[in-house]
Amino acid sequence: MVIAKDWVLALLNPSPLGLAVAIVLALTIPLFLHTFIFRASGLVSLPSILLLGPSGSGKTSLLTLFERGANASTHTSQSPIAVECSLPVGAIARTDKYRSMNDPTNLTHKKFLLLDTPGHGKLRHHALETITNPQNLKGVIFLLDAANMAAGDEGLRQTAGYLHDVLLLLQKRMSNGTSKAPKEMAILIAANKMDLFTALPAALVKSSLETEITKLRVSRSKGLLDSGVNMGDDGEDNDDWLGEMGSKDFKLSQMEEFNIMVEVACGNVTGNANVEKWWKWVGDRL
Amino acid sequence: MLDTFEILTTSGVVLWSRSFSTISPAIINGLITNVFIEERTLPGAGIADDVSAANNPPYKHDQHTVKWTTSKELGVIFVAVYRSLLHLSWIDKLVDNIKTLFVDLYGDQLRKPHTTVVKCHFDEYFDQQLQELEKSAINKDIKVAESTAFLEKAPASVAGELRDEPPPLPGLLSRGQSKNNYNDLTSNDSSPARTPSGSRPSTPAGHLLTGKANPGGKTSRRARKAANTPTYASSGEESGAKKNRAAKAAAPKKGRRWDADGLADEDSDTPLDYSTHANDATSGEEDGTTRPGGMEEVDQETWGSRTKKGQFVLKDLDDQVHSILSSADTKKVGSATSGGLVGSSISAIGGLFRNVVGGKELTKEDLDKDLKVVEDHLLRKNVAREAAIRLCEGVERELIGVKTGSFESPQARIQTAMEASLKKILTPTSSLDLLREIDAVTSPSSLSLTKRRPYVISIVGVNGVGKSTNLSKICFFLLQNKYKVLVVACDTFRSGAVEQLAVHVRNLKELTTREGGVVELYQKGYGKDAANVAKDAVAFGAQEGFDVVLIDTAGRRHNDQRLMSSLEKFAKFAQPDKILMVGEALVGTDSVAQARNFDAAFGAGRRLDGFIISKCDTVGDMVGTLVSMVHATNVPVLFVGVGQHYNDLRTFSVKWAVEKLLDIKK
Ligand SMILES: Nc1nc2c(ncn2[C@@H]2O[C@H](COP(=O)(O)OP(=O)(O)OP(=O)(O)O)[C@@H](O)[C@H]2O)c(=O)[nH]1
Ligand SMILES: [Mg+2]
Repeated sequence: MVIAKDWVLALLNPSPLGLAVAIVLALTIPLFLHTFIFRASGLVSLPSILLLGPSGSGKTSLLTLFERGANASTHTSQSPIAVECSLPVGAIARTDKYRSMNDPTNLTHKKFLLLDTPGHGKLRHHALETITNPQNLKGVIFLLDAANMAAGDEGLRQTAGYLHDVLLLLQKRMSNGTSKAPKEMAILIAANKMDLFTALPAALVKSSLETEITKLRVSRSKGLLDSGVNMGDDGEDNDDWLGEMGSKDFKLSQMEEFNIMVEVACGNVTGNANVEKWWKWVGDRL
Repeated sequence: MLDTFEILTTSGVVLWSRSFSTISPAIINGLITNVFIEERTLPGAGIADDVSAANNPPYKHDQHTVKWTTSKELGVIFVAVYRSLLHLSWIDKLVDNIKTLFVDLYGDQLRKPHTTVVKCHFDEYFDQQLQELEKSAINKDIKVAESTAFLEKAPASVAGELRDEPPPLPGLLSRGQSKNNYNDLTSNDSSPARTPSGSRPSTPAGHLLTGKANPGGKTSRRARKAANTPTYASSGEESGAKKNRAAKAAAPKKGRRWDADGLADEDSDTPLDYSTHANDATSGEEDGTTRPGGMEEVDQETWGSRTKKGQFVLKDLDDQVHSILSSADTKKVGSATSGGLVGSSISAIGGLFRNVVGGKELTKEDLDKDLKVVEDHLLRKNVAREAAIRLCEGVERELIGVKTGSFESPQARIQTAMEASLKKILTPTSSLDLLREIDAVTSPSSLSLTKRRPYVISIVGVNGVGKSTNLSKICFFLLQNKYKVLVVACDTFRSGAVEQLAVHVRNLKELTTREGGVVELYQKGYGKDAANVAKDAVAFGAQEGFDVVLIDTAGRRHNDQRLMSSLEKFAKFAQPDKILMVGEALVGTDSVAQARNFDAAFGAGRRLDGFIISKCDTVGDMVGTLVSMVHATNVPVLFVGVGQHYNDLRTFSVKWAVEKLLDIKK
């Protein structure tokens, strides 16, 4: 009994040891939580621009150009990378358009994250996952090699196939997305390598992509069912038609119906770099 | 000689490179796609563990050989390219050493997020290594014993000492001294603006003289500093006092001597003289007493500061390089034996905690147990053991040293990694749209100069796996899309085969004439050479304006040498656009050998183009065969057969297969 009383007294008395333990705990627990939980979540607040396109189109070159002002030498990418870039002095972010010329914030360049993804067929899921599960995504740049786009070319077919998949994914997300989907999504089709003499001009790139996607969506619609369908329990209705239902020809402008704004602009990364149009587009998104 | 050395990241940016002759970028791109992404030469590779270049298989491209190693943690690849004709015995060592140096020097920069920029002045280091290793190779030939003794003992002896101590080579010692003395001398000559230039005095006279005056050490630097302060007269005494205090702190026993010095100083006339004289005296004095410690410190200091500036004298660079390399060696040894009792128990508790909360660094032991579970799971799904082991090893290599995310258990991490591995292995390099490809061949665009011709598909496989059935399914699909199809019976071997195909064709005709499909059978009976029949059939198809020629071949055991060898001639004669192999979902372990042998049967330069996995409806979730076959050959699965009817053919969906294999519920 006495022992029990002693214990109670000891417990309830303000002992310096207890105090010390309490203080240590109070100080360390937030630190612990911070290191374990919040460390992983990096910079999510910066607006981001996604860079995708077939392998060898110059995405990583463009990334280094945007980051450093000069492009570095590159090889095939295996992993995605996010890089912090800032708008050059010339380009003005859309949100800053109405600022006074003398506003000091004009001098601090608008920052954004540029996400480079591998273009290899096996590794495109990195890019597609960023579309389905975006974090502050402001726009998508689809980079292609305009020198590899001649009619009947394998390059054109592969490029159009990738673009078709990306647009279809965006379309699905925009049309059935309830609250998570943004009001509008912008995609820039950037025709790269204009310095090569075989490169098609932007207008031609656009029209050949449109004809190729027209053929492609027809053959996709006629193709065999996917093995995931029917064999599983539910045969989710496959609404896999890109663009306007029942339209004969595919036009990039049909994507506006789904609030997807598509623009085509040309430029080149190497040689005398000419990327003003792309910078301007990026500026308009921020 | 070496052609090129490049250091690049997995995201594709070249961080540093040195070219001795221009090589095509296709070589390194080929290395990346073939070895790392498609894992053709080294199954299960990927950016794997930090294996020495000697253990990584060299990659050959045309006349070039590529040696490589990786740093998984940093995502960096080190690549050396040279002509295959050359035999460079030192190349592995070079690649490994360069990796150690680069990681040590620029690891911090590489870990920075959201940037691709690594500021490096790596040229000197590279040149040093290249020269040293080349020299060592030559020396080895001439006088084996001596050269190895020097080159390998020098770093080793450093390893024996404390890590931050300079190598106790006599040459270095005198060098360090003379340099410091040189600086000291200039400052004593009252030219304070002179910066330490890093160049050594070349005349032996100067060397000797300064060596006598004050043979270096901590104080010489301090003395220089004091001498450099412009206000000699006013602060001379002060700085002297400070120095005394500092020196006392460093060596308190020598207090009496300082007093004596002070007395001596009183004799001097001018304050200026007094200060310089004091400096000389004190530095000389202290040097005599605390020489080893002072020496050690100053040497390290100058060494470090010059590293940052990136200016080097070759010999000092040598020392730095050796110390980095040897410290990496000791670290390797040390890591195995690190941690006392307390340390290990704390880390054990931390490990348990992290198991739940996340942020645990995965080790081989953690992974082994869990991976065994995953491996057994895959085996139960009918994945061949070889393929299951490869997948698990790949995941292990990917995960060792990786930290789990917040509230992520190691098991969950393994699951996601395995899912990613499966997706990567099953996803084809380029997606196939069969109808688009047929269109491209049968109605070529007016711009390209190719002539219209039929698209040729041939089907191969082991006996009884359902070649004819699946051919009929493809035929039905094509007919529905209004193609004109010629079915060719090239099974001139098994009796009844031609008739069986004839029945299929008759059925298909009945089913599709209403929809406008046209299908004919081409057959030449039994006993003829299949390759010739196929060739004639393709010519006939072109002549008659067919869109697609579908060739059925005789089933053959994959280990039947005679029949397998006839496939090469067949491929040459028929020139199929697609060679598809039918494999049974039921087959199990044999699938790997089947796929491999068929893939290799068409001679150099021709491979399988895809698999059709039949009877998938009969195996439920156990679709492991398709993983085994893709693992064995890197050839994608195009279709899966899911039933007895003509319309029971599906394009293969990676997502579906992965969900079945890992029991992911939708
Ligand atoms: N002529 C020309 N070449 C370019 C241009 N832009 C990029 N290239 C070259 O194209 C090649 C491929 O560029 P990368 O940036 O590595 O291609 P990528 O899109 O990142 O490719 P993956 O990483 O495989 O998806 C490099 O050799 C570049 O030098 C350009 O504007 N003109
Ligand atoms: Mg890239």
